[in-house]
Amino acid sequence: MNVRFWGVRGSLPVPGAKTQRYGGNTSCVEVQSASGTRFIIDAGTGIRKLGKELMRTEFQSGHGTAHILISHTHWDHIQGMPFFGPLYEQGNKLFVYARQRDDVHLRAVFASQTEAHYFPVPFDDTRADVSFRGLSDFEDFEIDDVKLSTARLNHPYIATAYSLCVDGAKVAYVADTAPFSDILFGEEFIATPPPAGQKPPPADQEKLRAMRSAVVRLCEGADLVIYDTMFTAGDYRLMPHFGHSRPRDAIDVCQDAGARKLALFHHAPERSDADVDAMLDDARVVASKTGARKLEIVAAFEGLDVTLGQG
Amino acid sequence: MEVTFWGVRGSIPATGPGTVRYGGNTSCVTVLLESGALVIIDCGTGARNLGLSLREGPFGRGKGHATILLSHGHWDHIQGFPFFLPLYVPGNVFEIHGGAASPALLEQVLEGQMAAQFFPVQSFRNMGATVHLHAVEDEREFRVGGAKVRAHGNPHGPTGALAFRIEDAGRVLVYASDAGYATGGADAGSLALYRDADLLIHDSTYTPEDRALRLDRGLSSFEDALDAAARAGARKLALFHYDQDYSDHDVDEICDRARRAAASRSPAVDVVGAAEGLTLRV
Repeated sequence: MNVRFWGVRGSLPVPGAKTQRYGGNTSCVEVQSASGTRFIIDAGTGIRKLGKELMRTEFQSGHGTAHILISHTHWDHIQGMPFFGPLYEQGNKLFVYARQRDDVHLRAVFASQTEAHYFPVPFDDTRADVSFRGLSDFEDFEIDDVKLSTARLNHPYIATAYSLCVDGAKVAYVADTAPFSDILFGEEFIATPPPAGQKPPPADQEKLRAMRSAVVRLCEGADLVIYDTMFTAGDYRLMPHFGHSRPRDAIDVCQDAGARKLALFHHAPERSDADVDAMLDDARVVASKTGARKLEIVAAFEGLDVTLGQG
Repeated sequence: MEVTFWGVRGSIPATGPGTVRYGGNTSCVTVLLESGALVIIDCGTGARNLGLSLREGPFGRGKGHATILLSHGHWDHIQGFPFFLPLYVPGNVFEIHGGAASPALLEQVLEGQMAAQFFPVQSFRNMGATVHLHAVEDEREFRVGGAKVRAHGNPHGPTGALAFRIEDAGRVLVYASDAGYATGGADAGSLALYRDADLLIHDSTYTPEDRALRLDRGLSSFEDALDAAARAGARKLALFHYDQDYSDHDVDEICDRARRAAASRSPAVDVVGAAEGLTLRV
């Protein structure tokens, strides 16, 4: 399988001279199996360029099929969707997967992004055949030759991690998530961090342990784990209630899961190319100190291509 | 007045090596009035860098006060709002004047962006600063920090976008982004708002050739902008709101073509290409 990064940024796109090497587009990763089954994980602004690329293939004539896996519907994971070229070509089949909610239907969430106040083209005017499938927490399913698993993540309003197995290889996408230690995120707004050193109530601790175990299972033996490492240790001390992890959290999960390679992902908008370089260096030091010496660590950048398993 | 551009792009932020000089952030402009009052026009992603630049001053201490004028609610004009740090500092006060029919509708547009499924803060009321919403009525003048402000609704595809005229200390600044005039160009109402502007910041999304292919988008070419500026007697025209697919090289060409057209047809209009970080005295 082939994994390609089209957007690696969190929060909002950051154009400019300081983000040229890693790229400024928000989250979007393409995964394609050797047989051609195509997945797009998240639809941040990176999906615009992917769409342009796809419009040079069978998508141009309306013969394309893609499966779009959405981790959650915060802006930086869906804001590129209205700018995805294949959406406007009749005949293309786009299957959108995301965690099912009780309150809002997925189609309504996406359609509200293009209401008249916000965008000139309503969702109903798009011409591709778009269908939505709501996923329950921890659902396993298959699409063509690919086996998928999901796990619930610890993030405000809840996010979903995915793993994809095909061609004798496995990739896991774990974004966005906070560590599974200090705060249990649900649907409520958390305005301030808990007092330093305060542990969550025992029931929450139990839920967090179970959530982490499920994420470790999802990443078990993965050839590549793509993980939300938006925060440095210093950021996390100030903003534990924002729902993002540090590299060491990702390294711990990868180590417990026996994963081979970790891609730091969802870089903070304020992180310059040099800052991401420094985070990567730090992460490698952390890994070597904690005994995760075999774990290969890279920092994801726009255009990074990773081939796993048999092609 | 001192005008600074923080984002000059339309539709969606444009990243990469091709947009470093003009900048890839979506629409955001500040106007520092002679009284020292700060006016922010539109809150595209450029608002994030603006917010960072305000940290050291009163906005970092919760003593800041600014007026925000919103031309309309399309993403590229509001998507920087949740990332504008001064909104998270209690004590800061923002007067938001927007082009919705009533404050309730304006609130709905802003809250829709902040809703739990889209943004972790869940409501702009959770951000910390004090926000007052004001619905702008076409042609009704209001006062901001000693300046007179008037708005006019321009056609913008299936919807409309407000253009703003700011008169301060005897000078006139006009912001007219996202204007898509019918055949014949800007009508009398638009021209009246732009009349004798010292600086007209005007939508110049496309080349005339690209605009002809996308008439339904409700946006202008540099020719439309120049035509409006010349007919309104504007002294300086800042081209603005470039298409996301135009590289710096493409925008250079748009600016060159607009300057050549001005030199031959409307020599009284001085043309400048808006770029992130550019400051102009009016």
